[in-house]
Amino acid sequence: MSAALFLGGLALGAGGSLAGAALPPRARLPVAAALTSGACIAAAAAAAGVLASGHTVAVRSAEILPLTGVTLSLDPLGAIFVITSAVVGAAASCYAVGYAARGTESRAAAALLPLFITSLLLVPAAASIATFMAAWELMALSSLLLLLTGHRRREARDAATWYAVMTHAGAAAILVALVLIGAHAGGESFAALRAHVGEIPPAERSIAFVLALAGFASKAGAVPLHVWLPRAHPEAPSPVSALMSGAMVNLGIYGIVRTGDGLLRGGELWWWLVVAGLGVASALFGGIHAAASTDLKRLLAYSTVDNIGLILIGVGVSGALAASGHRMLAGLAMIAALFQLINHSAFKGCLFLAAGSVQRAAGTRDLDSLGGLLRRLPATAALFGIGALSICALPPFSGFASEWLLVQSFLRAFSAHSTATSVAVLAGVAALALTGGLTAAAFVKAFGVGFLGQPRTPAAAAAGRVHPAMVGGTALLAVPCLALGVLPGLVMPLLARAAGTALASTAPGPPGPPAPLGSAAGLLGPLGSAAGLRIAGSNDVIEPALLTVALIAALVLAAWLVRVRAVGVRRAEPWGCGRELQTPRMQYTATSFAEPLQRVFADVLRPDRDLDVSHLAESRYFEEAITYHSRTDDAVERGVYRPLTVLVQRWGEVARRAQNGSMHRYLGYGFAALVVMLMLLA
Amino acid sequence: MITSSIVQRLSLLRSLFARPVTEHLPRPAGPAGPARFPGSVQLRHVDAGSCNGCELEIASAFGPVYDAERFGARLVASPRHADGVLVTGVVTRNMVTPLEKTLDAVPRPRVVVACGDCALGGGPFTAGYGVAGSVAMFAEPDVAIPGCPPGPAAITQALRGLTGR
Repeated sequence: MSAALFLGGLALGAGGSLAGAALPPRARLPVAAALTSGACIAAAAAAAGVLASGHTVAVRSAEILPLTGVTLSLDPLGAIFVITSAVVGAAASCYAVGYAARGTESRAAAALLPLFITSLLLVPAAASIATFMAAWELMALSSLLLLLTGHRRREARDAATWYAVMTHAGAAAILVALVLIGAHAGGESFAALRAHVGEIPPAERSIAFVLALAGFASKAGAVPLHVWLPRAHPEAPSPVSALMSGAMVNLGIYGIVRTGDGLLRGGELWWWLVVAGLGVASALFGGIHAAASTDLKRLLAYSTVDNIGLILIGVGVSGALAASGHRMLAGLAMIAALFQLINHSAFKGCLFLAAGSVQRAAGTRDLDSLGGLLRRLPATAALFGIGALSICALPPFSGFASEWLLVQSFLRAFSAHSTATSVAVLAGVAALALTGGLTAAAFVKAFGVGFLGQPRTPAAAAAGRVHPAMVGGTALLAVPCLALGVLPGLVMPLLARAAGTALASTAPGPPGPPAPLGSAAGLLGPLGSAAGLRIAGSNDVIEPALLTVALIAALVLAAWLVRVRAVGVRRAEPWGCGRELQTPRMQYTATSFAEPLQRVFADVLRPDRDLDVSHLAESRYFEEAITYHSRTDDAVERGVYRPLTVLVQRWGEVARRAQNGSMHRYLGYGFAALVVMLMLLA
Repeated sequence: MITSSIVQRLSLLRSLFARPVTEHLPRPAGPAGPARFPGSVQLRHVDAGSCNGCELEIASAFGPVYDAERFGARLVASPRHADGVLVTGVVTRNMVTPLEKTLDAVPRPRVVVACGDCALGGGPFTAGYGVAGSVAMFAEPDVAIPGCPPGPAAITQALRGLTGR
């Protein structure tokens, strides 16, 4: 039943892609969106069935891919990722109908979006090396081509180059890692790989893990492999940005968990400390850059790096605890990481879609030219606000519940009494605290400068209506932000089952069918008490539902008090230092809001500032013109990747001397090679 | 003898062992009315066209010797943070709008303190060509501090009347 449903979903996705390619322009997008949404619903239903029953659904077909065939297997871990991708995919495909309503979307884009969404559903279900790599490449190529639909802009072409190089270098690393593991197994299915992993020498196993980690971390956007992300996410069309940030980067995390905990059966402690270290670096770097960015979508992209960091810390701590035998604590950390992951997908997808609406309505995503959008786009502003409150981890929104669980799981890890783990956990808690503040600063800036105040440019003042499909798509992702925040206990059994599957193979012992980590579900206390979160064996409990009621009561009381006590409210004009002439340009801008943080973190951001003052010829006391120019490039890009590209460029120049384009020389090479071969063979 | 001269020369050491420099100011005599802002008052200072004599005296009233902050009076950077406005100088034509806007921007109930003879409508500049008038034309001063300039002790004592400390 589940298998048929899932395959039907994939078929619907393929049908959506065909419809996008074949139908006439007017019918193209609605039909493709309907088919894709159907695909997402079917796949999500199949995955929900797997999660609810705990049984793995497996499908094998020898006909589809020649030589190897296709092996699909949907287990509870993969199901969580399928559901996440499906929800974001359905929202993005609805949104795309409105986004392209003015006929700007090409036939290629209409065909590729369903394909991208289908590949996102397919990757977590792939259960053999060939199937996985095929699905992975499908995902990489379809997203790359979608990014290239904006090929008329130079920034989009640059971003596509960066993305292509990073994602394919990553895919190569993953392929080598999987082949290294597979070399000792009889087959190429993941089950065979898992069964024979004990026969691999430890050194080779570590090499395989490091390669896989590099490959998957480049997809997840972990520092220092994140450089493509802040370029590609802003330049992609908004539904694609939402899919990249809300679903695609998740699959990097999925790969790390699947390979490290699953195929390699947990492995060694230091692997996971490296993962947690990558997480800490990403969380801090992403948080600082998000706080300093003034481009709305670039800010969101860096905030993705930040959240991926938090998830990686959770995954790393979980792996470290499992490697040192604390399986209950490992399960708790994994549940927290997965919870943060699904919440991140929902709120970041929602924020990217809302940012896309802003870009469509106002024609720019530069915060310094926006403002006053709350009155002009009230629905989009409200949805962006829900996403922003959620990402800032404020109750009763979902970010609060998952970050609470993350902190609780970290604090509990101290009882593992391992110095290395304790240091990692301490760094994790510190990173969580600091990025919490930085995220709040970034989103106060995004909402305050973008939506409040008065429009800074005529374009922002003229921001008109947003297509209802765009509002609907965004709202679809705002629902889980609120629902998972108010009733987090509802998804806990499902997440516990997924975490149990993720960690099932890490049990030390003889290789064989993985034993289920049945007790993981028991980690979180009975759900009888209003679906709150309670950690078993302790008094740590939150009841977001009660918290919500209390918050609403407090708000109502405050509103009543204001109404009762506010007699003779006097309205005064905004304070502008007593100037006679005030224009909207004198408002606080995103740049000025970020300036103190930019100063504090100058060592990380390395901002590039130029101030040119030219004086009047008659008197130096009067300025003729003042130009101020400030930009913050990615320090990792400048410090690591620029020298690398320069090196490759030089190498290319050298190689070019040998390859001068002359047919005579190439024939000469062939002749010389023949002579050398004959001499060697003789 | 030698040790004492060393102590005198090393100002750091001297200040380490010196007695407090802050003046002892007795509570002002006279009928203590109910304080307008009991405990603390935050003031925004507006120089409406002063010769800066009053500014020097205000600076020393808030310096270490007279230390008006120990009686709860503070100068703040925005009228939005203030309980009142502390005005010095005659009101020049260029400062009419900023003064009006500042007076308007302070939340009610508000206090207006006129510091110095110029602010009170007197002083040497009243007949100047660029002078629009005095504070009283815009808002009736609640506290008047006469003097040209008023000394820091007088300013401090006047502000104590507002805080009642």
